[in-house]
Amino acid sequence: MKRIFPIKYFPLITLAVFIVLLVLSSCTKVINIDLNSSSPQMVIEGNVSDQPGPIVVTLSQTVNFNQTNNFPPVTGAVVRISDNAGNAATLAESPSGTYSTTALQGVPGRTYTLTVTANGKSYTAASTMPKPVNIDTIVFTQGGGFGGRDKRWEVKFLDPAGVANYYALFVEINNVIQPDFSSSDDNLRDGDTISMRVPGGDKTVLNPGDSVTVTLESIDKYVREYYRLLLQLNNSSGFESAPPANPVSNISNNALGYFSAHSDRKKTFVVP
Amino acid sequence: MRKIIILFCLFIFSASYAVNLVKTDKAGGATLNLPTGEVGNFTISGYVKAANNGEAMIGATVSIKELATTGSVTNAYGFYSITIPQGTYTVTAQFIGYESKSVSIDLKQNTRQDFNLEETTNNLKELLITGEKKDDNLTTIQMGTDKMTIDEINSLPVLMGERDVLKSIQLLPGIKSSGDGNTGFYVRGGGADENLILLDEATVYNPSHLLGFFSVFNSDAIKDVTVYKGEQPAEYGGRLSSVLDVKMNDGDDQNYHVSGGIGLISSRLNFDGPIVKHKGSFNISARRTYADLFLKLSSDTNLRKARLYFYDLNAKANYELGPNDKIFLSGYFGRDVLGLGNTFGINWGNATGTLRWNHLFNEKLFSNTALIFSNYSYKINLDFSGEQGNIISRIQDYNLKEDFQYYASTKHEIKFGFNSIYHTIIPGDITAASNTPIGKLGLPDKYAWENAVYISDEYKPLDKLSFDYGLRFSSFSILGPGSFVTYAPGNVIGTSDVETDSVHYSKTTFIKTYYSIEPRFAVNYKLNKESSLKASYGRNTQNLHLLSNSTTSSPTDLWIPSSLNVKPEISNQVSLGYFRNFKDNTYEFSTEVYYKTLQHQIDYINGAELNFNQSIESQLLYGIGRAYGIELYLKKKYGRFTGWIGYTLSRSERQFNLINNDSWYPAKQDETHDISIVGIYQLSKKWTVSFDWVYNTGNAVTFPSGKYDVNGQVVFYYTQRNGYRMPPYHRLDLGATWIRKKTAKYESSWTFSVYNVYDHWNAYSIDFQTDPNNPQITQAVQTTLFGIVPAVTYNFKF
Repeated sequence: MKRIFPIKYFPLITLAVFIVLLVLSSCTKVINIDLNSSSPQMVIEGNVSDQPGPIVVTLSQTVNFNQTNNFPPVTGAVVRISDNAGNAATLAESPSGTYSTTALQGVPGRTYTLTVTANGKSYTAASTMPKPVNIDTIVFTQGGGFGGRDKRWEVKFLDPAGVANYYALFVEINNVIQPDFSSSDDNLRDGDTISMRVPGGDKTVLNPGDSVTVTLESIDKYVREYYRLLLQLNNSSGFESAPPANPVSNISNNALGYFSAHSDRKKTFVVP
Repeated sequence: MRKIIILFCLFIFSASYAVNLVKTDKAGGATLNLPTGEVGNFTISGYVKAANNGEAMIGATVSIKELATTGSVTNAYGFYSITIPQGTYTVTAQFIGYESKSVSIDLKQNTRQDFNLEETTNNLKELLITGEKKDDNLTTIQMGTDKMTIDEINSLPVLMGERDVLKSIQLLPGIKSSGDGNTGFYVRGGGADENLILLDEATVYNPSHLLGFFSVFNSDAIKDVTVYKGEQPAEYGGRLSSVLDVKMNDGDDQNYHVSGGIGLISSRLNFDGPIVKHKGSFNISARRTYADLFLKLSSDTNLRKARLYFYDLNAKANYELGPNDKIFLSGYFGRDVLGLGNTFGINWGNATGTLRWNHLFNEKLFSNTALIFSNYSYKINLDFSGEQGNIISRIQDYNLKEDFQYYASTKHEIKFGFNSIYHTIIPGDITAASNTPIGKLGLPDKYAWENAVYISDEYKPLDKLSFDYGLRFSSFSILGPGSFVTYAPGNVIGTSDVETDSVHYSKTTFIKTYYSIEPRFAVNYKLNKESSLKASYGRNTQNLHLLSNSTTSSPTDLWIPSSLNVKPEISNQVSLGYFRNFKDNTYEFSTEVYYKTLQHQIDYINGAELNFNQSIESQLLYGIGRAYGIELYLKKKYGRFTGWIGYTLSRSERQFNLINNDSWYPAKQDETHDISIVGIYQLSKKWTVSFDWVYNTGNAVTFPSGKYDVNGQVVFYYTQRNGYRMPPYHRLDLGATWIRKKTAKYESSWTFSVYNVYDHWNAYSIDFQTDPNNPQITQAVQTTLFGIVPAVTYNFKF
């Protein structure tokens, strides 16, 4: 996909619009709404990393909107991963819905293929692991930003020039993986030092003494597109939002979710 | 190419035939060069104006007592022309709210007869709704047409006490609001960009201020508003669904006046008067809001630095060079400003300018030549966290237009002319340091040249039967310089279209031209004195498309021209109507049925990126649409109590290859039921009260039908685009006007209004989230913009 203006500015316009509306007596309330049910859909999350550790694939299902957020695992599926260097393995299930193996290594440059057979249906996906990109520094910045009081942690790294690069940034606080993550690419910033905000910094309060580990993943083009659409979906509000849609998955047969082969670099710091 | 030549010849031939009928001699008089068969016909023609201020009267009727079925209606400049055999006649000019005037004419030669009508001085001046003859709804050939006078617009209760043209027309059947806080309106299932909005013939690209709360039309400056929702007369083109033609006041040509109003949210001022008495006048109106002054009282430091306001200025001057020549100069300039301290600011607005020359070649041939400039732009300023720069985006038109009206006889009135527009679209002109991402963005400018010629005839072969038929032939040329990329559709809806070709041109060249022929046809058959039957057919093309992916509209939505990938949108509409009046035209009833097909409609891939995208056309999908419905309308026109009830039952659907498995799905603006009830009651000489109640089915929206977990977050699952509905929208507004003092020298009044009297929380948007108090469940949250909003305005006039 060609050049797009950094979409981060558009929340500002959304915020500006929100201010207008805030001025003029707007109100919100929780409402009861009748939403249709749907038959359970397959959700696959697969990750192959270049770091030591198992390759993990989780299988779960969708539930209806008014049910509780307990997503049933898909058990008894046949899950296989292979690479283009002749290695392959069948993943073992433990606990239910989670399939893993240590038989394959994640190596940058290789293409990994996932096949899942469950409930009589099969799903496949492929992802090529890009080369890793190192984190240079992590800085704390105050001031500037929208409203002039922005406080944030930024991860800075040098983007390799001449190659299209795609990134995702995940964070652990005190060894707890945070659900918020961010994603970007090097469009219009090829070869520059890119900074990405540590995700969840607004909602999560970082207390002195907290141990924070950031993981910079180099991901492939299709996973980047999936993450971009997923973040757009989850971070949009009623104002100025596009009609929502399921993010385009790189897994076949209408599966939801993604399969990502990524190379990671981590850095840990303690909040002063 | 052959098609153009044939049609151009046809045009020239009919034009010269028309002009050859009449020749002007050196003294400026005219001799008739009549085709054989018509002997001794002479023409009575002239202008109808208001006596007190010289304002030209649009739609006044001029009738001949002795020839009951003969008459003429004044055009947009107040001109009429009637050609009848030699004889003695009583000629009467009428306009509702004014005393009719009769003159006896012994017609032996072409006669110029102007009329200056006096305002009615009845104590209880009835608030009459149309400026037309009593049974005009039965006799006008055009159907799907609505006219509103400013008196009517000013008597309706509206949000924040601001009289508003756009909000008022949305109370008519077939014209739907796009909801609180949204720009634009929908006509007969068409999109918000399918309405041609004209202010003194200049195109207005964004008719709203402050995201839809107000329109750009200052009713102090406006004289006449006409909406064409069905078949558009051949002199209009370029948009599929409707034409909103707004004309400004000329200004009092005898006395100076200052008038205005002071309200809670905004104030306005109007100044008009003569340039030379009885020969020329001017009118200037200005408005500004100051809602942001209230923000300065806020405890939040961010809100204190916020700026939120708009201002606009309407100006018009006209001058009569001679009995046959008049020139007009009108302009509009408005700006909306939204900003937060020095870090972020956006402003946007329209600017228009029109120079017109009315010329009477002779008693039968009226001409209007116009030079028009129109511009809509927005500018974003950014200065924070190391990113600094500004972006200007604009669409600009230069337009030359020529319209002739040839009043051939009592049976034929011929109109012909041409329109040539040069469009420039600058999607983003960026000023920023070149090493920043904004600085590296390059969005190429786009150029296009749009031309049209038309000819139409209003033909009345019989008293009971009349036709208005015409042909409009238009072309749209895409011009270089620029890069032109061709795309083919992607395989899956989420992926962009695939680039198949790319060519670059460095100078002005014709890249591609689209031609279209647009026939227009309307017929009126008068069944009897009380009723008539009408039918019409029209074909329209549209070459400018507004890209707006979001569920709400935004001033930063982008206009793009037709291109190698984006074909002209086409609509074909047929409609049928039955019109019936009761109690001597006191009540008007009508029902209209329509069916419209739409081609080359535009929609977007999932997650489309429309903002500042260098390859924006890769995000588009193309499909077809259809809209059909029935409109019912009952109106009480005369008496102390006036008002109307309108009901529309309709459907608007689209079909796209990659959306919803290629099946028909409702368009966002599909609203099954739409009801408006309006009442205006003249309580006494000083008090008028009014109310309106509206109800409509909610827009089609996309809501989730399930949910799942990815990376520890709940994600919603969608099955269909536009498979759900927003809850129904309804509200009641009340208004009252108290004329405190009214003398010849000074008038003052108070307007009170309450918007949404029973405080119904209409949904502006509905969002889905995990319950912040219970992460195990998800919930729906509705945002409402307006609860009950009262307003007061003080108005004055010197």
